[in-house]
Amino acid sequence: MIEITNLSKSFKSHKKEPGLKGSLKSLFRRQSVTKMALKSVNLRINRGEIIGLIGANGAGKTTLVKILAGIVHPTEGSATVLGHIPWERPNEYRRQMSLIMGQKNQVWWDLPALDSFLLLKEIYQIPLDQYKKNIEFLAETLMIKDQLKTQVRKLSLGERMKIELMAALLHNPQVIFLDEPTIGLDLSAQKAVRQFLSEYQKEFSPITILTSHYMEDIKELCPRIAVMKEGEIVFDGPLNQVQKMLGDQKVLTVTSDKSIFKLHVPRESLAYETQQIFQNHNVIDLNIQDPPIEEIIESLMKGGTTS
Amino acid sequence: MRRYFRLYLHFLQFSFSKAMEFRLDFFFKIFMDIAYYSVNILFFKVIFLHTPLLGGWSQEQMMIFVSTYILIDAICMTVFSTNMWWLPYHINRGDLDYHLIRPISPLFFLSLKEFSANSFVNLLMALAIFTYTISNYPYSYEAFDLILLAGLILNGALLYYCCQMLMILPVFWTQSARGFMDLFYSIGIAMERPDKIFTGWRRFIFTFIVPFSLIASFPAKLFIEKFNWPTFLHVIGVSGLFWMIMLSIWKKGLKTYSSASS
Repeated sequence: MIEITNLSKSFKSHKKEPGLKGSLKSLFRRQSVTKMALKSVNLRINRGEIIGLIGANGAGKTTLVKILAGIVHPTEGSATVLGHIPWERPNEYRRQMSLIMGQKNQVWWDLPALDSFLLLKEIYQIPLDQYKKNIEFLAETLMIKDQLKTQVRKLSLGERMKIELMAALLHNPQVIFLDEPTIGLDLSAQKAVRQFLSEYQKEFSPITILTSHYMEDIKELCPRIAVMKEGEIVFDGPLNQVQKMLGDQKVLTVTSDKSIFKLHVPRESLAYETQQIFQNHNVIDLNIQDPPIEEIIESLMKGGTTS
Repeated sequence: MRRYFRLYLHFLQFSFSKAMEFRLDFFFKIFMDIAYYSVNILFFKVIFLHTPLLGGWSQEQMMIFVSTYILIDAICMTVFSTNMWWLPYHINRGDLDYHLIRPISPLFFLSLKEFSANSFVNLLMALAIFTYTISNYPYSYEAFDLILLAGLILNGALLYYCCQMLMILPVFWTQSARGFMDLFYSIGIAMERPDKIFTGWRRFIFTFIVPFSLIASFPAKLFIEKFNWPTFLHVIGVSGLFWMIMLSIWKKGLKTYSSASS
């Protein structure tokens, strides 16, 4: 179980005016700027749950994940994962945890994947039969069996991501942090990774936190989401509840002979509005839909409400 | 402990299979080191053409010292140097992340991962020079002296690594590209000089502040001259102290890394 209480993190950095003059100035007098990356975050995640963490760049997703993985020390507040304080980095915790960052590699580039796996087997002290079983299962589900003996740097981006996933899951972690695992992948590779993750979740039911820019990842994998904005969690709940947040709204897409436009209309005035549109425009096509989740989340991230 | 030993065997295996792929590099490295050894040995040979004793040591005694520091240099080049080259980059680019989440000492991993298989042949050569020097040593010595020298050579390698780390670790705070590595290499020459030539404040600096004289010169002295406790304890004491200082700065560095990383 993950329990986060009033977790805050601030960074200090120096402000520098542009140019050589600014550099000289900052040599003698520094203006430090404190940036709050996390503001008193509260979150509780139960065993077997998979939660999607959404937010714009710089909203604090990665910072939160890194604190939970034990890489970053928080400024204030507390957090426990499986009963351990992550940033104390006890071995017992690190043996049960895994972090996958889509933008950083953990396997060795100059070596075939299997060599890296052997090293991980030693590091995590995975028993031989479990190791063999896991390689078998992971390689099979990810459909990457033939690439395990190739030098990792000779693989494609998608294949490399699959290797990263294998490397991260070899030791059967109880907690998995996935920081943008599908970044930069093409659609079919994204789909394969998603399918694998959902299968893995079914098979082993770890706690999983997934951050992604792709709504598809979230929609397919996470029944529960948390939306972050400027270091705060502005929404935490079931994905299907997001839609209800804005009340009962419909989106009208109107195609007239002169233009195409979109309207957000409360359900109760739907009939009236439609009448008005037909009276005032020469309508060729009219489409009535629920507002897409992407749009709602985007508005949550910006902090306004959709018009 | 056994786990770390087995991990190290893996590192060795990887390095050798990697090194085989770059043949040219492999031979070039050997050539470079032969040149380095020859220059060092010749340097003292030339001096002894003009004087029978140097600081009270004969040519054979001086060769003990020379082959000692050549051996220590070879050990450090083989075991640590590649890792030390990459460490500041790893720290600067935030590559420590994956090292921190593993149930294993990140210092062990980052210091020993890259065994330099290319330098390994040179390590064998240095070992050969050392053995040759010892077997041609005309004065008497006891088994104890030799064992002590071997032990202090390993200690010297560790002390050298410690000093190098202390020059690199400021990278955690300065974010500069290479720390004070240039400084390290320029003072490092002091290791290749017998400690007798340092007197007064210079002696204090090279035996306490940047203890390069303790790496090879003191061990050689204990072998050549009679064993004495003050010299021995000086080496062990300062080495232990440096080791502890290095570890505590490493820990502080990790903490800084943790609070700055995003």
